[in-house]
Amino acid sequence: MIEEPYRWVEAIANRREYIEAQLAPGSPIAALGYGAGILFLTLGQRRQKIFEVYDRIAMGAIGHPGDIERLRMAAIELASTEGFTRSAADVSLRRLVHYSLSPLMKGAFEQVYGAPYLARMLFAEIGERPADDLFLRLEYDGEIATNGATFSQARQDFAVLSGTGQSRELMESFLKAEHRADGSFETALKVALDAWTIGHMTLQASDAKELPGRAVVEKYRQEQLANTGIEAGVLERDASRAIRYRSLSDTELRPLIND
Amino acid sequence: MESFLVAFDQSFSGAAGDFPALLRHKGLLAPAAVVSSTPQVGMPRETSWQPTEATTILAFKFSGGVLVAGDRRATAGNTVVYDRADKVLEIDRHSIMAIAGVPATAWEMARVLEHSFQYFRRTQLQEMSVDGKVRALSKLLRDNFGFVMQGVGVVVPIFATYDPHPKPEARLYFYDAMGAQFEATDYAATGSGSPAVRGILHYENNWGAKPLQKLGEDEAVSIALRALDTAAESDTSTGGVDRGGKIYPLIKIVSRDGIITLPESKIAAVFKETVA
Repeated sequence: MIEEPYRWVEAIANRREYIEAQLAPGSPIAALGYGAGILFLTLGQRRQKIFEVYDRIAMGAIGHPGDIERLRMAAIELASTEGFTRSAADVSLRRLVHYSLSPLMKGAFEQVYGAPYLARMLFAEIGERPADDLFLRLEYDGEIATNGATFSQARQDFAVLSGTGQSRELMESFLKAEHRADGSFETALKVALDAWTIGHMTLQASDAKELPGRAVVEKYRQEQLANTGIEAGVLERDASRAIRYRSLSDTELRPLIND
Repeated sequence: MESFLVAFDQSFSGAAGDFPALLRHKGLLAPAAVVSSTPQVGMPRETSWQPTEATTILAFKFSGGVLVAGDRRATAGNTVVYDRADKVLEIDRHSIMAIAGVPATAWEMARVLEHSFQYFRRTQLQEMSVDGKVRALSKLLRDNFGFVMQGVGVVVPIFATYDPHPKPEARLYFYDAMGAQFEATDYAATGSGSPAVRGILHYENNWGAKPLQKLGEDEAVSIALRALDTAAESDTSTGGVDRGGKIYPLIKIVSRDGIITLPESKIAAVFKETVA
């Protein structure tokens, strides 16, 4: 296989197809920056998907639980040893993902005799102001997408993760229109919930190309909320505390969304 | 830079949540010191070099939780090195480690401890139990004992925390240099000025106006200040209250709501009214 480049390309393509199929049913995760922090939100009760990584960093992930766990451990180990030997201020999400996790995932993905990481991850690092917030999406092949301004895109104060690209794109176009970075927590919560709903609907209907109507989203959201639990966490902007992450319980959030 | 760049080692699993083990694995923490075969405890210290040492800390339970106080002086032999040393260190939202002994070692221990608790919570997705935390400090002291036997790096801490399970209450522990932990029912004091402090706390607890556990905040602060000032009277290594320089002991309170550092203005007010 090594002496035949074509076979390698083919193997990689097969592997990509396989991983995409495995990740496709993954329930979406939305991360929204607002005035006082960053909110991570998803719905589902099977297993925890939103985690604290370090003082100012949190993550959400979909994929195989074993792979997510290995990557989560790697991220915590790297951040903790860096924070211990230098200072918490020296732990940076950009370095963590670009220099450590991305090469690791790319390496595993391209070694066709070994197992790749079946995981797609979303990281956020809280800044002093909403404009300093950093969001990073890391793919199973080491590919990184950020919220920063690029050639074809303005800076965004949110990031999302979903099982399929189509679902993610619809969530993003919804958030581009609806999300305000200087809003309140309650507003961010409702918008995040709607974004999740749109992402999840798209996963169910594979031919969805456009944003569904308001009433449809509303109805679907209520159906889902009746049967599933909300999982959420926030990174607080309040600089008086070193540790900014706090997980939010379903019971804490329910009263805030019944409008 | 190197340590961060090197991708993580997949053969090592931090799943046990043991942060010191991870640090040793990465070569970031000195291995446990070997206990010297020629113990030097009790021998006169060499006069050529003396480590900086911090002294006299006390803690007792009162109606609002546990009060932990420490004077501010750091000494090396007969020299006062520093008069604003911080010997009462916050480890997490509900735990305080107060130190008597060599600050170089103690501050490093506090740093390891602080990261250990966070690392455990983040990796294991649950808070470390109070017993686990108490034991973690004990282990660090045990690992350090080789240095103690060589005459450097002795640390004798007090650990105060709030335990939400099974019965919510403040807990207080003191240690010896080898790592044995003792739970205190009412009060604890260590450092060179501690005999005087212990005398005062014992007296107050048994024959004072009220037992320590019944004291209000101002009364508790007053007793802590009097005790440290008394210790400073006979122990040159203890700073007590510096009236000229207006340097007051550091006082922190642990309760269910977390840790409060008393503002200097408040300590000064209590001092003026009941001690000076």
